[in-house]
Amino acid sequence: MQGQEILAALENAVITGNKADSIKFAKEALENGVKALDAIDNGLVKGMTIVGDKYAKHEFFLPQVLLAAASLYGGLDILLPHIPTDGTAKRVVGVIGVVEGDVHDIGKNIVKTMLTAAGLDMHDYGKDVPVENFVNSVKKDGAFILAMSTLMTPTMDGMKSVVDGLIENGDRTTVKIIIGGAPTSQPFADDIGADMHAINAQEAVKKVKEVL
Amino acid sequence: MTEKMTHIERVLASLGDQPVDRLTVYPIACGVSRRTIGDGTMLYKDWCSDPKNYAQGLISGQKYFDLDLTVGLMDLSVIAGDFGSHVRMDEQNTPFVDDPVIKGPEDYEKLQAPDINKGRSGVILEGTKIFADALKNETITSGFLEGPLLALTQSASAEKVFMDMYNNRSAVHKALGTFTEYLRDMVKGMGQSKPAACMWDYLWASYSCLGDNEYDEFEGQYKYAGGLNELVGKEGMALAIHNCADLPHLDTQIKAMKPAAYTMAYYPLIPGSPSASEVIGKGYADNCVVCGNIDPQGYVRWSQEKMQKTTMNLCQEVKTALCARGLKSKYCIASGCEVPPSVTTRLENIKTMVDTVKQYGQVTC
Repeated sequence: MQGQEILAALENAVITGNKADSIKFAKEALENGVKALDAIDNGLVKGMTIVGDKYAKHEFFLPQVLLAAASLYGGLDILLPHIPTDGTAKRVVGVIGVVEGDVHDIGKNIVKTMLTAAGLDMHDYGKDVPVENFVNSVKKDGAFILAMSTLMTPTMDGMKSVVDGLIENGDRTTVKIIIGGAPTSQPFADDIGADMHAINAQEAVKKVKEVL
Repeated sequence: MTEKMTHIERVLASLGDQPVDRLTVYPIACGVSRRTIGDGTMLYKDWCSDPKNYAQGLISGQKYFDLDLTVGLMDLSVIAGDFGSHVRMDEQNTPFVDDPVIKGPEDYEKLQAPDINKGRSGVILEGTKIFADALKNETITSGFLEGPLLALTQSASAEKVFMDMYNNRSAVHKALGTFTEYLRDMVKGMGQSKPAACMWDYLWASYSCLGDNEYDEFEGQYKYAGGLNELVGKEGMALAIHNCADLPHLDTQIKAMKPAAYTMAYYPLIPGSPSASEVIGKGYADNCVVCGNIDPQGYVRWSQEKMQKTTMNLCQEVKTALCARGLKSKYCIASGCEVPPSVTTRLENIKTMVDTVKQYGQVTC
């Protein structure tokens, strides 16, 4: 296979949610001299962007998106170690997680995938994340983006505790905070001192890109 | 405030689209109702693990808030917990599964259905009998059960199940079959508890989660939800469905499943999320009492003034839409999802919502 064919195969592997193909064609890309960054941007990420668009139009649903994400990460695991150091240095770090007391993480995982596809180096803290873990993550990981989600009303206040903790330890000004989840809104983000609110993964990527 | 109709008269009239003295009202105040017992300090874990406490909370809440309906919603980790998942039981809030019983593909087929009379399923059955009996002359009562796909996603994590719909399709169906059999027994048990209705939580029927084909294959079809819905009728209960998702499958869940009542939420920020007037205008309330859609966080975060204004606005929107559609009463002013059971929920906001409907819920076309 030639370079363009391999890129198309990577794109298709993500769209069809075929992780095995994603891994196979990522290896093939490297063996055929395709640059890792090119394979990521013009193969995997291109496919994930199409998946995101189809999800927004309700042509794809969560199963397809989750399989596509798994396929994307399969390819990334092969390709990322081959990106030159100066290439990785340019990647902005983001930390992401579901706030303490909540275990609904599908939305968070989709946002993580789309932000990864947008070029960020996402550090996933998972679900039911204690406030102090979020607060400490900014300095520890060198994050410029902090993304938090919750699907439940009673756990929303945990987001404010994180913002307050960052103010207290002096890291608030170094990070942009974005929140999401069904009960949240931009007025709530304003209330708690977060920078942004997004209603879905596409909007999250758009808003994060605007502040990079 | 003296009212012209009793709760039961009003709900029955609404079900038949007959004139009512005012719209029916039902904030889905279930776990939070434990705070209306005694000095208000009962812990959630004590409420949800003892049938007497569970029933007492619902009975006391009905009287305290003067509710038209009573629904026995507990939380969504009941069946998963009874099947062996570990449930983290916070003292004052909704418990959740923190260690699902299904960890790998092979676990779908190993599921063993427990005795329905043990665990928290048993609490629900016994407690439903108590509150249904105690309130039978006061309100229309409904039991509450998780649908098979919800029970499965709680037992395995939704992400795993959604991916396994394609990666391990037959295993997922096997597990759904196990849950459905269990739920058939639960419906029969619920029938013996004699609530007027049985409400299913079928929340994955949302276009932000599943398409029509996937929902039909993995829950909607006769083998699963279709047969369970039919059994509800055979056991002498009216069918009700709860779905607080953002983009519900209304054609499937209202027009095809034909519930007597359907409770739903409204997400104004989500494009396509249907408002009360849109739902009524498109005919979904023609043969079903649609219940919605006060934002549940309002019970925690809003002032009483904001709750009153929001409820007034919803009443006006609903009345206008009902009249435009030629309907008299087929909408219940309700919360879009359960009123948060946490200690930060403002009980006065629940009362304000109910009182506002009493004051502004008269339908005169």
